[in-house]
Amino acid sequence: MSELDRQIEQLKRCEPLKESEVKALCLKAMEILVEESNVQRVDAPVTICGDIHGQFYDMKELFKVGGDCPQTNYLFLGDFVDRGFYSVETFLLLLALKVRYPDRITLIRGNHESRQITQVYGFYDECLRKYGSVNVWRYCTDIFDYLSLSALIENKVFSVHGGLSPAITTLDQIRTIDRKQEVPHDGAMCDLLWSDPEEVVDGWGLSPRGAGFLFGGEVVTTFNHTNNIDYICRAHQLVMEGYKWMFNNQIVTVWSAPNYCYRCGNIAAILELDENLNQKFRVFEAAPHESRGVPSKRPAPDYFL
Amino acid sequence: MGETGKGPSSSNSLQRVKLYRLNGDGKWDDQGTGHVSIDFLERSENLGLIVVDEEDNDTILMHPISSNEMYRRQEETIISWQDSETEVALSFQEASCCSYIWDHICGVQRNLHFSALSNLDVGPRPTIGTLEAAGCSHSNDESFNSANNELRELPSVEMSTLPLLLKTVLECGVTDQIRVSELILQDPDFFPKLLDLFNMSEDLENVDDLHMIFRLVKGIILLNSLQIFDRIFRDEFILDIIGCLEYDPEVPQVQRHRAFLKEHVIFKEAIPIKDPFVLSKIHQTYRIGYIKDVILPRVLDEGTIATLNGIITANNAAVVSLLKDDNTFIQELFARMRSDSIPHESKRNLVLFLHEFCSLSRSLPLVQQLQLFRDLANEGVFDIITNTLQSNDRKLLLTGTDILILFLNQDPVLLRSYIIQQEGHTLLGLLVKGMMNDFGEEMHCQFLEIVRILLDTYSLTGSQRDIIIVEIFYEKHLDQLMDVIASSCPPKVSYGRLHPHAATKPEILSNICELLCFCVLHHPYRIKSSFLSNNAIEKVLSLTHRREKSLVIAAVRFMRAIISRNDEHLHCHIVKNNLLKPIMDVFFENGNRYNMLHSVVLELFEHIHKENYKTLIVYIFDSFWERLMKFQHLGSIRAFRTKYEQSLENFGIKNTANAAGTKRRIDEQALEKEETYYFKENRPLSGGLVDYEDDDDEEDEDNHKPPRRSEASTGDNENRKPAKSKRKSVSKVEIKDELELSKKQRLDQWSGDDSQANATTTSSPSSCTDNTINTVQSPNITPQIQSDKGNSDKHSNENEKENPAACSQHNCLPETADIKQPNIEDCPLTPVSSSSPEMVVNSANSEPYSVR
Repeated sequence: MSELDRQIEQLKRCEPLKESEVKALCLKAMEILVEESNVQRVDAPVTICGDIHGQFYDMKELFKVGGDCPQTNYLFLGDFVDRGFYSVETFLLLLALKVRYPDRITLIRGNHESRQITQVYGFYDECLRKYGSVNVWRYCTDIFDYLSLSALIENKVFSVHGGLSPAITTLDQIRTIDRKQEVPHDGAMCDLLWSDPEEVVDGWGLSPRGAGFLFGGEVVTTFNHTNNIDYICRAHQLVMEGYKWMFNNQIVTVWSAPNYCYRCGNIAAILELDENLNQKFRVFEAAPHESRGVPSKRPAPDYFL
Repeated sequence: MGETGKGPSSSNSLQRVKLYRLNGDGKWDDQGTGHVSIDFLERSENLGLIVVDEEDNDTILMHPISSNEMYRRQEETIISWQDSETEVALSFQEASCCSYIWDHICGVQRNLHFSALSNLDVGPRPTIGTLEAAGCSHSNDESFNSANNELRELPSVEMSTLPLLLKTVLECGVTDQIRVSELILQDPDFFPKLLDLFNMSEDLENVDDLHMIFRLVKGIILLNSLQIFDRIFRDEFILDIIGCLEYDPEVPQVQRHRAFLKEHVIFKEAIPIKDPFVLSKIHQTYRIGYIKDVILPRVLDEGTIATLNGIITANNAAVVSLLKDDNTFIQELFARMRSDSIPHESKRNLVLFLHEFCSLSRSLPLVQQLQLFRDLANEGVFDIITNTLQSNDRKLLLTGTDILILFLNQDPVLLRSYIIQQEGHTLLGLLVKGMMNDFGEEMHCQFLEIVRILLDTYSLTGSQRDIIIVEIFYEKHLDQLMDVIASSCPPKVSYGRLHPHAATKPEILSNICELLCFCVLHHPYRIKSSFLSNNAIEKVLSLTHRREKSLVIAAVRFMRAIISRNDEHLHCHIVKNNLLKPIMDVFFENGNRYNMLHSVVLELFEHIHKENYKTLIVYIFDSFWERLMKFQHLGSIRAFRTKYEQSLENFGIKNTANAAGTKRRIDEQALEKEETYYFKENRPLSGGLVDYEDDDDEEDEDNHKPPRRSEASTGDNENRKPAKSKRKSVSKVEIKDELELSKKQRLDQWSGDDSQANATTTSSPSSCTDNTINTVQSPNITPQIQSDKGNSDKHSNENEKENPAACSQHNCLPETADIKQPNIEDCPLTPVSSSSPEMVVNSANSEPYSVR
């Protein structure tokens, strides 16, 4: 068994890697991700997953429902970290799978894959707690800068974490984004990761999130038409049923964190596309309590103050 | 799921309410029905009320709970308050939910009060009594009291009454929580008795009772009463309380928390602390953190977590405050750290202690933090760190840098003042050296961060001190860093890439490159002299020889930073030394692979052409067009070419010279005849053409839109010309590819060209009034765009720019959208849909969006 396979097994048990292993893993991942495009091409069949947010045991449920990687080809739409208790293990497992099976799993960036956001919503603190220093957080946030911004499945399904941007009318415009940077506060890259579709908005509207835009049905229609795609698949918003179509099936939200924040009571979904792009949503619930380990949030075992 | 158990404050986070707002007529407008929750608002650290519409999941209310807002509770089911001028009310379906939310609002307000106060005052948990009173001022509300009064007493604590107690605590309905807390606190024997029962049950190994006690203690913690916490976290109780929490009925095995705390956790004393109060606080803080993070993380709700964090912060502040005021303590600490007779291990501990001490001082109010750091600086903390940084002990080294970061985040002036002194030079040298050192796998050093903050004089007033630091850095250290790069990037040999084992680690090079980018952006004048004189740019560009793509990209980004200075001298320097060649080489070598390198170079092109850096545009075109031509299927390359053609037109006199130069190169490279023909014959023509600088960006788009396919793009122009009355000059370039006739014809069929031509024509007249050279207008455009979305950083700026340009055309050519559709891949500037006019946010002041 290779070192990497061993690490994957370890991560599957929700045991974090050593700091030096994380560093090495991130360097390997960097070499792979740097070759990916801003609109990463993905072949069908593929299973699309929405936000995970550090809910490691729920992600294991996801793999139970969707099948293991590499048997199943996966596309994760970002927001791997924050909120849940196991952001470190969750992201590292996905990253290790990426390094091990680069063609069988695609990871794109969500708005939480950001230095700023992770300092507020938990990933930073989790790294500090689990490793006693923020180095792991630095490695991981550095690798976030390399994650692709979107994916295009068989030229027909455009996948992105948040949504559309008024600065982007064609997929080719995404090409000229220099994505190696912290998620900016505005502009095309920001919008792709932050925007939301919105029924009541005509065209573009201000987003209550303070970043990105709200966009209406007509924007989606035009975008899909212009780019000759069937529909947009995105994540970013909690939907109680796990997935939700909008605008006459032109955009779908997929949400893969069941019982979000361990208390929202929602179910989660993944979207399976077969080789002919036929859709099948698979829903799943949170992992039962027994299957969860004790949160390994132990503080450093020695202290001065 | 359901891990949070039955605690009243942990269930029901989604609760059904109607949202009303008082309108101008004094009537309540129904704003929708949804589920209310209390959560952290996105992008802020504030807890707020969030109502999500039950039908479409829209967020219809996001209200940050503030400490001075007057929330009112009416009847059993209504909570109202004044929200930015209007009165807002939530009408609850369930009274219990209303109570639950109400209680949370009170809790959040209480915490806000608490943290506000603890920021003002340091010491062992001040003013708790008054806080409780302040937080619960609403309890005067009649309905509130009437609900509370039903619960007059708790049963005394006996084994037999445990079920009843448990029931009372768990089901006390939220309004009663405070009452239950009061009753528990009224009985001084409550916890002693409860813990006696626990010890007894544990001795008897009575698992059922232990489970019940677990649930009771958990329930009591979730009451989120500061006074109860005050009591159960006392030295005499806290370990037993933790003992109770070992018997979670939902976890199969008993958790041995006490054993861990007693046997594994080590309290280290670098300097003996004599004050028993301080010692007790230190232990308590660790244990509270342990309860919060290890034992009950999934059980606690935000309110309770906030309360616990408040206690921890207050404790830390108290400890640091008492220690810092103890003069002998600090002096002893420094005396020991300076002493030569102390064994390494103790010294190490002292530094580690110092780090924890500095780090915890962040709990102090700002003024006291500053004072403390100033005191430490006066005591000679930087000398200590200078020593630390020369240690071979990596952990120690890392800690030293961490301490520096704490100082810098607090007040960079302290360290800067030290550095400009003679003895401080050593420290700066060590820091720069640290950037270049390989510390092995285990360590990620913060030297980059430190040096960057030291050199960040931009944000400050640029005082003499800061300038001196920058000078020292440039004089003594810049070359060192450059040399590291140069020596680890041997030149490429022909097309292969050699040097499989270039010595320096990529992360070191990448850090250095990042620092240099920072310098370029922050020291525009200083950098100019340094970078123009020493082949510095060439050295950095040698990173393009590295095998690691990330370093190649770093080099491109560095060049992007240099170019974006918009400094003609730098631009000329680039041209003179052909400095874009290494970047072009890697770009061409990368070919059509759409990866990060590809994007980052295209972005550079976009930047150059959007900012209209003429010198560079001409240089790039003249030097690299033969190879760039292959990339004409890319919108940015086509736009670039257009910009070049426009530059020529506007250059007037210079034309001839340039054309000659170009011709020479072309000959050298043995281009096709057609091309030579063009350059000879057509370029002069272009000079006489009408200029349309004003609609520059739009025109770029116009122009390159039709030649969609790369191959096609070169061939279509002649045919396009008639339609585009004024665009002939622009399209001329493309004459050469006569072979591509068939594609040309295909392009001809795009009637879209007509409309584009119209668009151009209409916009031209206005532009003629502004008959200067192109550079004038990029500034013109930029402000408009910026006003659209506020101040945007450079990068997003550019992205946005392409947007208005695209939008501007769309009203003229709605039908082109259809025509283009089959070719999405290659048409970056397809008009925005007809929906774009409704660009609600932007339309107001941005001409480029056609507002309708």
